[in-house]
Amino acid sequence: MNEAAVKKPVSVKKTILRVLLYFVVLDVCIITLYPYFAMLCTALKSRVEIFSPNGTILPITALWSNFIDIWSRAPMAKYLLNSILIAGGSTLIAMLCGIPAAYALARMRFKGQTAFLGFVIVSQMFAPVVLLIGIYKVMMTLGLTDSILGLIFINAAFNQAFTIWLLRGTFMGISAEMEQAATIDGCNRLQSMLRVLLPVAAPGIVTTLIFIFINAWNEYTVALCLISTDTNKPLTVGINIFNGYNMIEWQYLFAASIFAIIPVVIMFMTIEKNLVSGLASGGVKG
Amino acid sequence: MSKSAPAAPVKQKTAVPAKQNSLKRRPRSAGAKALRRIEPYLWIAPSMILMAVFILIPIISVFQMSMSDVSKAGKIKGFNGIANFTKVINGSAFSLVLKNTLVWTVAVVVLSTILGFVLALILNNQFKGRKIARAIVVFPWATTLVIQASAWNFIINTDYGTLNTLLIKLGILQQGMNWTPTPEAYFAWEIACGIFVTIPFVTFCVLSGLQSIDTSFYEAATVDGANYWQKLFKITLPLVKSSLTVSTVLNIIYVFNSFPIIWTMTKGDPANHTDTLVTYLYKLAFYNGRQGEAAAVSVIGFLILLLCASVYMIYTLRKGDDM
Repeated sequence: MNEAAVKKPVSVKKTILRVLLYFVVLDVCIITLYPYFAMLCTALKSRVEIFSPNGTILPITALWSNFIDIWSRAPMAKYLLNSILIAGGSTLIAMLCGIPAAYALARMRFKGQTAFLGFVIVSQMFAPVVLLIGIYKVMMTLGLTDSILGLIFINAAFNQAFTIWLLRGTFMGISAEMEQAATIDGCNRLQSMLRVLLPVAAPGIVTTLIFIFINAWNEYTVALCLISTDTNKPLTVGINIFNGYNMIEWQYLFAASIFAIIPVVIMFMTIEKNLVSGLASGGVKG
Repeated sequence: MSKSAPAAPVKQKTAVPAKQNSLKRRPRSAGAKALRRIEPYLWIAPSMILMAVFILIPIISVFQMSMSDVSKAGKIKGFNGIANFTKVINGSAFSLVLKNTLVWTVAVVVLSTILGFVLALILNNQFKGRKIARAIVVFPWATTLVIQASAWNFIINTDYGTLNTLLIKLGILQQGMNWTPTPEAYFAWEIACGIFVTIPFVTFCVLSGLQSIDTSFYEAATVDGANYWQKLFKITLPLVKSSLTVSTVLNIIYVFNSFPIIWTMTKGDPANHTDTLVTYLYKLAFYNGRQGEAAAVSVIGFLILLLCASVYMIYTLRKGDDM
């Protein structure tokens, strides 16, 4: 008897908390998705419907042709290709430079190690936008203004800190014993890293890789400043062609935006869990 | 390439002991020793060169330009000490821009940290659809800021924005409301957008910290009769502190330097009312051709961040090596 009397209020309280929990989670999800919902609906409307005084939430008739029109109204295919080249190229260079550096920081002791790590961290404090004037000058000297190659190098460089940080954490979490065994078997360091460490570190490497790709894909400021030729622009800058001074073609802007968002969101959802644990472990160990 | 470079110095060094000692092993091991000494530098060389050319040189050049008389084309005409700095600081817009930057950074970082932390606590519960909720929460983090800002710009538009449409359809409003009557209101929306995109990062940092907490702590506390709030402040907060610190420090830097949201929504207009240091310096450099002053703004921004970073460093160092 007594026990039941104690238990009952607890379970009522629990039920209320449960309901409250679902309510809050649902609200958060709705608010988070709202801009995407608005973008999708707008991308399917006609220009007249968007600007009409009697606004609609859902499109009266879904104009899927907007998604086709953007390819002829702007060099979308070129923007998309540029974005892929920039993101892919940046990822490749950032990894080629970052893996050996992270390996050295995780497995070797050398003079200036702390100084190098210090510079890596301090470099995080300079966003490209703050250094744009300096970057522009370097690019002028190298003849890389208005070029995709220039953007690749900039993105790779500004992602070095993250690359090194994440990979160093990954490598330090893996025991060096296997590599030492491989060295005894006659492998040199490069071989032992390539054949022993990297396969084990693959999940961390993939996470880093995708993260850099997304960062470079989403980069806007440097591209806005450096690229002047329309056909050299990545998606983030290029789609603003629909955002003119006098007239904004919202339906096209958002249709194009959806093309720019979807691949990244999918990639991000695949790595989200690993990325965060990588960030946290790198931070704690540093 | 990196392998052949050290060959020459290695040989020179080993030449001396080789003559004194007929043992064949000796020079090789000395050579190996020298190689081992420079080996780490070969491994970090590519990364170092990349960062030196595209980060370090721009840093040096910005500092140099901030203390020089710079022509419109970006040519340095000569040293002029702190003239650029005094010009910037005495500029009519500077105090407003500085104030905006502080409001922007503090508001976005503090509010997104609190909201992100609470959201992490919620998502850390076991419930149906947790995976889907977590996937949805990641959306704003993955979306490029320009697109996110464009979407919000459209939503809050007075004439045809979907927020007005939605509120009218729901019967909350009779007619469309002007959401951005003043520059300050616009700035507040920009801050809201900044918070919206920053929350996921905080949430996931905290979540990773929460998941590493041993549940036995909570069980023991429950046995001792601790209530929810006691557990939150005595167990959860201290244990996720390091994740929270990482996310806060990184967020201060990102938010302070954030450019796309403000640029897309207002370009800092009207009359610098929504400018922060980064949009201000962009306009100075690329619209007005005042590159020396723009460089000075960069340096001022960097010094402010450095001050924050050193406060953080001193704070953690004083706390001891518990990291």
